[in-house]
Amino acid sequence: MDFGFSDIQGELRALARKILDDSVSAGTLAAYDEFAAPRFDRGLWQTLLDSGLPGIAVAEEYGGMGLGFMELGLFIEELGRSIAPVPVLAHCVSGLLPLQRYAGSALQARLLPPAARGELLLTGDFWSGSGVPTVQAEATADGLRLAGRCPAVPFARQADWLLLPVGLADDIAVVLVPADAAGLRLTDLQMTHFEPHAAVELDAVSVPAADILVASGGESLVTWTRERCTAALCAQQLGSADHAMHLAAGYTSERKQFGVPIATFQAVGHRMADGYIDIECLRLCTWQALSLLGEERSATTEVQIAKIWAGDVGHRVSYACQHVHGGTGIDRDYPLWRYCLWLRFNEMALGSSASQTAALGRRLARGEGLFS
Amino acid sequence: MKIQFTDAQLALRDELRAYFRELMTPALRAECERDMGEGGGPLWREALARMGRDGWIGLGWPEEYGGRNLSPMEQFIFVEEVMRAGYPFPFLTTESVGPTLAEHGNAWIREDIVPKILRGELLVSIGYSEPDAGTDLAALRTTAVRDGDDWIINGQKMWTSLAHFCDYTWLAARTDPDVSRKHKGISMFLVPNSDPGWSCTPVHTLGGVRTNATFYDNIRVSDDHRVGELHGGWKLITSQLNRERLSLINFGPISELFNQVVQWARAAPYAEGGFIADQSWVQANLARSRALIECMKLIVYKQSWAMTAGTLGMADASAAKVFGSEGFIEVYRLLGEIVAEGGLLRSHSPGALEQAGRIERLYRTASIITFGGGANEIQRDIISAAGLWMPRASR
Repeated sequence: MDFGFSDIQGELRALARKILDDSVSAGTLAAYDEFAAPRFDRGLWQTLLDSGLPGIAVAEEYGGMGLGFMELGLFIEELGRSIAPVPVLAHCVSGLLPLQRYAGSALQARLLPPAARGELLLTGDFWSGSGVPTVQAEATADGLRLAGRCPAVPFARQADWLLLPVGLADDIAVVLVPADAAGLRLTDLQMTHFEPHAAVELDAVSVPAADILVASGGESLVTWTRERCTAALCAQQLGSADHAMHLAAGYTSERKQFGVPIATFQAVGHRMADGYIDIECLRLCTWQALSLLGEERSATTEVQIAKIWAGDVGHRVSYACQHVHGGTGIDRDYPLWRYCLWLRFNEMALGSSASQTAALGRRLARGEGLFS
Repeated sequence: MKIQFTDAQLALRDELRAYFRELMTPALRAECERDMGEGGGPLWREALARMGRDGWIGLGWPEEYGGRNLSPMEQFIFVEEVMRAGYPFPFLTTESVGPTLAEHGNAWIREDIVPKILRGELLVSIGYSEPDAGTDLAALRTTAVRDGDDWIINGQKMWTSLAHFCDYTWLAARTDPDVSRKHKGISMFLVPNSDPGWSCTPVHTLGGVRTNATFYDNIRVSDDHRVGELHGGWKLITSQLNRERLSLINFGPISELFNQVVQWARAAPYAEGGFIADQSWVQANLARSRALIECMKLIVYKQSWAMTAGTLGMADASAAKVFGSEGFIEVYRLLGEIVAEGGLLRSHSPGALEQAGRIERLYRTASIITFGGGANEIQRDIISAAGLWMPRASR
């Protein structure tokens, strides 16, 4: 039982924080407000790629750092702290991870090294819905032919390859589709937090056999990847909530009313203390989920619990922080408002607290997930 | 970062579970039930001494005190398991006053008192609160006046729980009569409850648990009974309270209760058909409880780790206390809704069910820890000041 950072984990956190502090500010983020430009800072992305951070969890033989999901999660926590405009969750979690874990050696050799270097940008359709594929496939002489619609895929417009789970008769396959494939059409969405997402429509899109990640039994890949996507959202939520809370603690310590800092009013201090406790709960549940997933241990219960907290804590911390800031919190010249958008996204994506609670409750009623 | 037990720790847990299955005889359980889950009876004392002889109480203590020199994490696993087994373990003596005595006590205390605690032969009650000194503890008026080499102690304490079967009281007394020095005029004493000047009267509480008012009438103790620096008692009080806040949040019994309610709900028929666990509201209550208890578990694991690493912070100890105490109340409500009317039957009533009867009592006893061990309002003050560096109003 070790809640401390290893030397390498500490260095990676410091490196990520340094790069993000240097490159991301309210000023740089303003460029993407209200969809003025796609929220993707390619300069920052290249800086991160040069640092090696996006390849944290990729094996050294493919050009990565050879560390694990725990370290990737700690990096994502820092991204949440800065709400950086880079496709780490899409590319690293829903792209690199399943490609490395499930692809055959030929596909790995072809795509993993350039993807780890960032020359190819990946994304995956693992961020919405129930995990049941919304695209259907039928076998052809030399592969599969796809038809259907993925309602929301992050960075689909910017990506080179899309990982798509597809229904194949009673089974699930997972395929790689190039973003410029014939028959593939993207519709840009306007998400609440400005991150670029697109609906993906597929009409008779051909997938050669070489681009099939798994031809059958893809349900385990989908579950495996969605659990990691969920834990990544929790880590991102942790960073965002922690930063919002520290903004509010700082503001209430400076802002004076009745001649004293408003932090000295117990009603204000206690609301912040509740945020502190909430975030500690989210931190511990999230780190536990990252730790277990990083070691390929079964963590369905722990991931569900972390997402319940990510939803509840995000909601409570967001509104508490806005409240103690008064009008300043919603003023777009002050940085808090963008955090509120991300706290909402992380709360709702891949299952709200209510839906995760229902899912965990169903498992408990089957006798699963009890205390050991 | 590795949030899992080692194989050795899992093996220790299994060994302790087997040990307590054998130790907790039906007669001992009945005696503990009679004593309202507080202990103090002859079988309870014999079991405590046996745990001491078997080396369990001092598992995480240094060998010089008779301990086994494992880490606070192993000590924590032991406390979890003894509580999970339903034994009312005197954790305030062993886990909060004991370590403070070992850290600050003189040779007599370290060589005689502490080893007796670890052998399960000596119990200590806590004398802080007074009729007019609760949350503002430093307003206490009990006095210790120097008389030659001795001290003469006079005063009254409130809520001196377990004092009627403890051997000593860990007593905060004013040694500097200048009340303007408030926090700087308090010293700590170990007062024998066997002294003729010591007396107590019971105070009966909502949960059926007895606590006490204790009276100190010209009790003479030698200077050996004073602990730590003269007038330096406040530091010892806060150090002990930090440890107490951690030991109050023990997730063993509540996780056991949770498992029992789940199994019961899966087997108990629902009036309108199916089983109780089939109902969506029951599932939601179970999941909410599961998520709360998981965090209690992680918070105490982290704090045990922080104690090993020497990084335990004030804000986190207070956060554990607030979250745990309010979490217990919430979980008892959520599980109580599931057992429904069963949770209105006292455990000795005809028709009472084991876990429902426990919930009936727990909802009555749960309120104590939101104010005991330091009111949660004070804990939240500590969190915003020590955890978020927010200024606070002077008091």
